[in-house]
Amino acid sequence: MGFRGHRRAGGSISVFFRRLTSSSSEKPSPEQEISMILLQSHSRFLLQALSNRVHNVEKGVEVDYQWVEFDDVRYHVQVVSMKNPHIVLLSVCLPTPPPETAFPGGLPLGAIEAIKATYGVVVQILDPPRDGFNLTLKINLSKLPPDEEFKQSLLVKIASIREVVLGAPLRAVLKRLCSRTMTPDVNQLIALVHRPNEAFFVIPQVEKVIVVYPMRFSDMIDTVLATSFLQEFVEARRTAGLNNAPSCTWSSSPPLELKKAPPEALSANAGFVSFVIFPRHVEGRKLDRTVWSLSTFHAYVSYHVKCSEGFMHTRMRRRVESMIQALDRAKPEGDKAKRSPNSRSFKRLSLKDARTNSNT
Amino acid sequence: MGLVTDTEYTYPLQSDPPDGVAARYHDRCGVLSRRSSSASAAVAYYPPSSMDPATFRPAVVIDNGTGYTKMGFSGNVEPCFIVPTVVAVNETFVNQSRASTKSSNWLAQHSAGVMADLDFLIGDEALSRSRSSSTYNLSYPIKHGQVENWDAMERFWQQCIFNYLRCDPEDHYFLLTESPLTPPESREYTGEIMFETFNVPGLYIAVQPVLALAAGYTTSKCEMTGVVVDVGDGATHVVPVADGYVIGSSIKSIPISGKDVTLFIQQLMRERGEHIPPEDSYEVARKVKETYGYTCSDIVKEFNKHDKEPSKYVKQWRGTKPKTGAPYSCDIGYERFLGPEIFFNPEIYSTDFTTPLPDVIDKCIQSAPIDTRRALYKNIVLSGGSTMFKDFHRRLQRDLKKIVDARVLASEARLGGEIKAQPVEVNVVSHPIQRFAVWFGGSVLASTPEFFEACHTKAEYEEYGASICRTNPVFKGMY
Repeated sequence: MGFRGHRRAGGSISVFFRRLTSSSSEKPSPEQEISMILLQSHSRFLLQALSNRVHNVEKGVEVDYQWVEFDDVRYHVQVVSMKNPHIVLLSVCLPTPPPETAFPGGLPLGAIEAIKATYGVVVQILDPPRDGFNLTLKINLSKLPPDEEFKQSLLVKIASIREVVLGAPLRAVLKRLCSRTMTPDVNQLIALVHRPNEAFFVIPQVEKVIVVYPMRFSDMIDTVLATSFLQEFVEARRTAGLNNAPSCTWSSSPPLELKKAPPEALSANAGFVSFVIFPRHVEGRKLDRTVWSLSTFHAYVSYHVKCSEGFMHTRMRRRVESMIQALDRAKPEGDKAKRSPNSRSFKRLSLKDARTNSNT
Repeated sequence: MGLVTDTEYTYPLQSDPPDGVAARYHDRCGVLSRRSSSASAAVAYYPPSSMDPATFRPAVVIDNGTGYTKMGFSGNVEPCFIVPTVVAVNETFVNQSRASTKSSNWLAQHSAGVMADLDFLIGDEALSRSRSSSTYNLSYPIKHGQVENWDAMERFWQQCIFNYLRCDPEDHYFLLTESPLTPPESREYTGEIMFETFNVPGLYIAVQPVLALAAGYTTSKCEMTGVVVDVGDGATHVVPVADGYVIGSSIKSIPISGKDVTLFIQQLMRERGEHIPPEDSYEVARKVKETYGYTCSDIVKEFNKHDKEPSKYVKQWRGTKPKTGAPYSCDIGYERFLGPEIFFNPEIYSTDFTTPLPDVIDKCIQSAPIDTRRALYKNIVLSGGSTMFKDFHRRLQRDLKKIVDARVLASEARLGGEIKAQPVEVNVVSHPIQRFAVWFGGSVLASTPEFFEACHTKAEYEEYGASICRTNPVFKGMY
């Protein structure tokens, strides 16, 4: 079982690493084109809803959608008044942070600044946010740039609100790493929320940043698969061609870097994964991708565990089919049920019925 | 009635005798009615599920149709996505991995197997990819309303959940739908995939027509009696429902569905000699059906209208050839109304089946228990994409009314005019959400608090196995 999980995981891992290493100018390799195995940073539905709205502003259609994404991120999109059809309210509810994370005013550190820097005049932050949400944005569609391409890229950015907000603290650290302006108070431990009541840890050092994930799974089978997947993951990193990828380690016990972390944050049934990020991993446009990949690492692993299970099911089904075929071949000839061309009827006719039917 | 059952269940894939179907139906369809009546009595059997955090999140509602899949979250009025139920698989990898199973080149085999497993697309992306590259093969996992290819179906669900809805299946209860003739085995398969692969905390498999009725639940008063005429892409069912229970013995299925409309339009255009590249002609016919199709009141008059004013009725279709990229155009004429006409005059399309849809509906109601018939005539609900043709409900209502009135007149004549029968009210209900009425009904049902109690839970699955999916959990305390 474990072995098949590995096999299944191998190729997709290299896709993951290649996203972290390749520069944006490079032509995408065939594996990268298979983007489906990676989670995109924008919410597909949010983008669709916003684009629909942009194209049908005149039509006075009411818009009110609520949905939930992985890691318990909730969205609510609403067009409140028909008088201002170009004003869209977007509310986001983030996962509940564990006590060790810094979450001033219900948002991760630096999130407000990040929103302002990314969206400019198009988006306005409403204070206080709507009931039950961490953040409410007022999006003014009439202020979108007129250029189609530019407009589309800004809409994608808005649809990636989750990356901007939740990834803000990580992005700040990586940016400092990139510009080599790391503060000297090394080895401080930063906890960042990525799942409800769960955090991962970032340890900035002068030349590098270490990111550690305690991996937890609720299902027993998932835990086993994830553990073997992660071991294979570390193994795959060592193969040639991935030399530039961030180095990666897995251990079943908490690594030394986490000795200052609160003990309740250190219970992880699928071990601990750590990445070492160097400035070359966050240069230029790689920064966005790295931030997204790192802040959704757990979702990526759990997606793959599900894929592996699906893969095993496919194989099991194929095996059962081949066994049934073998059984069928072993049956004596005479047993074969003869299907007459007229046996399409649903009702089982008794002899008497059949006779009356043929008479009529 | 016996005649109709003999000839009209023409799908060869069902093997159950009708009695079995009936029994199953009475078994499983009571959720909505239970809501109003006997809720308190049944609730006592359920384990307390209120502590499960998943019950605080909206349930995921996926309605897998033969043609289109509608998916979204409960509590919304529209599904998030409506995509064609199709998977494009890269066959080159699959063949490689099969061919090289004996070779020693482990790495090649390894990556081929892995890539084959990863390299697939669903929905519109699948259609466009298969057109632009020849390495992808399309597979339609659902045929005639039944799942045929479980591998493709599992992949399809995987993409729906992770790439389209982007949710963690462990966080949400799921509501899936099935056609009224789905065998229990396939329900077990569904349960197996949902609980084993996706680890869903709870699952409810609803019957499509019941949901279509529930879709009208919020708009009109609580009306759970009616006939659902569900014309999808792959299957057409006429299903009478009384108080939320499907009257299984009276279900009628006819072998004409949305796909046949498309095929008929394709055939008409080919016979007229329109220059459409053959590899594109099915898709063009489908688009023509969806954009220009309408129902006429009388074929002969409609032919005349077209001949008198071709400029008003004949439409143009423009496209580009997929291979060369050269533009082409063709005319769309009579097929605009002849396509939907096959429901009312099936003999123009097939020689095997010639009973018009209004007749089938009438027979269906006549075979239902006598005390429900009036209520059934009064609430005939349309659902499914192929009922979206303009004026479809008017035509249906008119034809049906004709049949009913003729019968009333005949019986009055027989009685010699002594007793005047109360006129039978025939009412075909059409609403704007018809296309995804089933999904909407699911969304309504899944946003009620009772929904979570009616679900099969993961714990039960682990305790008893996939067989729990055979029955509706509403009745689980009763045997």
